[in-house]
Order: sequence, then structure tokens, then C-alpha cells
Amino acid sequence: MPALSGELVVFGFASLLVLAFALLMVVQKTPVRSVLSLVVTFFGLSVLAILLAAPFIAALQIFVYAGAILVLFLFVIMLLNLKEEAADKDDRPVQRTLGLLVALALGGLLAGATLRAPLPPRGTPTGTPIPMPDEIPALGRLLFSDYLLAFEVLSLLLLVAAVGALLLSKRRFE
Amino acid sequence: MSPALAAALEGAAKIAFVWGVVLGAVLPNLIWVERRMAGLIQDRPGPNRVGPFGLFQAIADILKMFMKEDVVPMYADRLLHTIAPLILLVPAMSTFAVIPFGSSIRLFDRDISLVVADVNIGILYVFALTSIGIYGLVLAGWASNNKFALMGGLRSSAQVISYELAMGIAAISVFLAAGSLRLTKVVEYQASGTFLGFLPLWNCFPQALGCMIFVVSAFAETNRLPFDHPEAEAELVAGYHTEYSAFRFGMFFMAEYLNLIAASAMMATLYFGGWSLPGLHLTGIPGGVVSIAVFAAKTGFFIFLFVWVRWTLPRFRFDQLMNLGWKVFLPLALLNLIVTGALVLWGVI
Repeated sequence: MPALSGELVVFGFASLLVLAFALLMVVQKTPVRSVLSLVVTFFGLSVLAILLAAPFIAALQIFVYAGAILVLFLFVIMLLNLKEEAADKDDRPVQRTLGLLVALALGGLLAGATLRAPLPPRGTPTGTPIPMPDEIPALGRLLFSDYLLAFEVLSLLLLVAAVGALLLSKRRFE
Repeated sequence: MSPALAAALEGAAKIAFVWGVVLGAVLPNLIWVERRMAGLIQDRPGPNRVGPFGLFQAIADILKMFMKEDVVPMYADRLLHTIAPLILLVPAMSTFAVIPFGSSIRLFDRDISLVVADVNIGILYVFALTSIGIYGLVLAGWASNNKFALMGGLRSSAQVISYELAMGIAAISVFLAAGSLRLTKVVEYQASGTFLGFLPLWNCFPQALGCMIFVVSAFAETNRLPFDHPEAEAELVAGYHTEYSAFRFGMFFMAEYLNLIAASAMMATLYFGGWSLPGLHLTGIPGGVVSIAVFAAKTGFFIFLFVWVRWTLPRFRFDQLMNLGWKVFLPLALLNLIVTGALVLWGVI
């Protein structure tokens, strides 16, 4: 049993926050409140990223996901003026079952991978905080060397999605 | 005293100093400056009854807000209606943590760098907080259960996201030149040399285009005229805060001014050399104090600019605002990024 360190307390708090608000997002009936629960979840995730000494990821989590994508979600929900979710008529039983199966498989995969991962050596904390390096240049170098192909493929995917969205919305207006 | 305790005390002292100055000195005087400037520009006296030159007007304004009744409309989403002003206010107050307000000062045998938290994601932290602040506006609009408020909230989400893009890309060029996201490094870089031999290496010279985009976008980000569409009183009553009264309205008011101060400080830091002044290399306590004064003067100029523009320019149409953001500023910001990249690559800056 590890000693109750500050890190553990923050980890426990952030994880509880993430799990609780992720659950709240699913069971919430008002779409706007669901989006807000997801925002809190992202906050928790970014705290976890900071614990892993990755503040850049933490900031992006807030800036991109909470700050841009979810605001657009909110924008659409408000534009359509969705007050409450429509009553649940289970008219897609196949999709529902498939969704459940995929979720279970993914959960199993993640749990398996986590359990198999080697534990880091448990040393006594020295009490001096690890200095955080400027990780952004290193990250940029990796993106444009080792992961160049994946990076370019992802960019292309986003471009295709953007062009597709434009095409679809344009066709509706003509 | 143990080093950890000393560091904690130092941090607490810096937080107290920054919030003390911003909330205790800048904010009330800003209210006075705005109202007196409005008077000056509109050829009328402005508030001049409370105290000498009306200097205590801010106290009267704030007291009034606390005395009024706090009304929550029927059928409003009570929870969200209550927390929306807080969601706006808390990020607005936290932005100041990463802005370096001076070089460094030596007190009690400690070198104290004049920034609350010198984090390695400086600029991103500021952008992340501003983007959280939008939720305050959007939720205030939605939770009020009022058509005008909803329109204001919708507008703010569309507007802020559009301009954040151009603003972010303009800011990328700044840290491309400085080679770091740390705001202290950005200031040190600008203090480090000259541009073309005779100008200070302030980013506003090599990146004049980016600087212009950043400054104009900041007006849209802080919902100030000519881009104050989320409240646009001629069309939307009072926009997102139509249904707010008393101290909750006061919180919106305060957050708007805090955002304005933070935006001014960011402009001074990113593009105008922060606390540095060419030819001025004082050290020790006078050096620290002078650097704070230089930073305050630069920030003060941009605050003045915000007020000046508000009472001079009319409001744009909303489609003009959107066109400007997406079709003019975004391509120009990308152009600025490419040019800056080339300059950095060839070692010009």
C-alpha cells in the first residue's frame, strides 16, 4: 500500500471527477448539461495529464476539446433548441446491441493492456519536484520525423471531413 | 525558514500583489476612466459628483450593484443561471498568473522573478482559460430562457471561436520567433537585440501584420465595441446578460473589465516587449521597480486604446464580423506565420 502522497490524493480526486461526470453526461436528460458534464470530465483528464508531467497535453485538452469542440456542440444544441432528450423509443435494437458489444470489447482491451503493462519501479519519492523540460520542440521533432506519415494521414482525414461537411451543407441550400 | 515554505510565501505574496493591483487599483480606475472618457468624447462632463473629479464613482457603482435585488427569471435553469457569471469570472481572474509583470527583484536575499507562475505552456494557458470563459456567456444566454439572451449566447460562441483561430495563429508566430511558449522567454527574446539594426526587437515590428490581427481579434474576444455583438443593446436588449441583475450582473461587468486588462497585458507582453525598454538596463531593486512601471505604462496604453475605440467606432454587422474573421484575418494570420517561419529559418529575426 503506497503512502498517502499529495500526488495520490490529486490522482484520486481527478479520477473520481472524471468518472462521476462521465457517468453524469450519459444519464443527464438535458443535452446542455450533458455537454457541461463532459467539460468537467475534460478538466479532470487535463489534471491527470499534468500529473504525468505533460502540461502541453493538458493545455491542449482544455484549449481544443473543452474550448473549441464542445463550444461548437453547445452552439448546435442551442441552435436546434433541444430542451430535453426525446423519450426513449427503442427503435434501433440492433445498433444498441452492437454498440454495447463494441463498448465491452474496447473496455476489455483497455483493461487487459493496463493489467499487462509493467509497473514502474517503486522508489521512495525524493521530495524534489522533477523540472519540467520544454517538451514542445521535442514533440514537434517527433511529429515531423518518426510520426510524419500518421500526422499527414490525419491531416488529410480532417481535410476530407471539412470538405465533405461543406459539400453536404451546400447541397441542402441549393 | 525552509526553502519550500519560502517559495510558498513568495508565491502567495506575488498572487496578493497581482490581484491587489488589478482588483484594487486598475479595475475601479478603469470604470472611472471609461465613463469620463465617454463623456469627453461625447462632449459632456461625465460622472463628476462623487469625490474629486468623480474619482469615487466606481465605489458608488459597485455599492449600487450590491444593494439591488438579484432576480432569477421564472423557468430559467436555476443552477446554470447562478454559476454562469462565475464560469466567466474565475478564468478572467486566473489569466494574470502567467503574465510577467516585471524583470526580477531582490528582496530578503532572494531573487524574485516578477511572474506568479512561469509555466512552460504560457501562451496556451492563457488561450485555454479564455476559451473556458466563453462558457460563461453561452450558458448565461441559454439558462436565462429568453430569446435575446439566447441570441447573445449563440453569437458569443460563434464570434469567440472564429477570432480565437486567427488570434491563436498570430500568437504561434510569436513563439516561433522566441523559440518557447514561456512568456518570460518571449519578453527576454524581445529585449535581446535589434531589428534591422535600429528598431527594438519587439514583435510588433517584424510581425506587424500578426500584431494588427492580434489586437483587433482581442476586441472580438473581449466583446468590446466594435465587436460587442453578444450584448448589442440596439438589437438584443442586453444580449446574454439581459436577465441578470444586481451583483450577478456586476460579475459580468467585472469579468469584462478583467478580460480587457488581461488582453492589454498580453498585447504588451507578446508584441511590445513586455517589461523591457531598449537602452534601459537597471539592476537591483530600482531595476525591478522600473520594469514594473514600464509594463504598467504599456498595459495602460492598450487599456486606453480599448476605451478610446469603444466610444469612437460604431458596431459592425454580424455578417461583416464573421467575414472579417474567416475570410480576411485567418488567411492573413497564416501568411504572417509563413513569413515569420521563413524569417526565422533564414536567421533574419
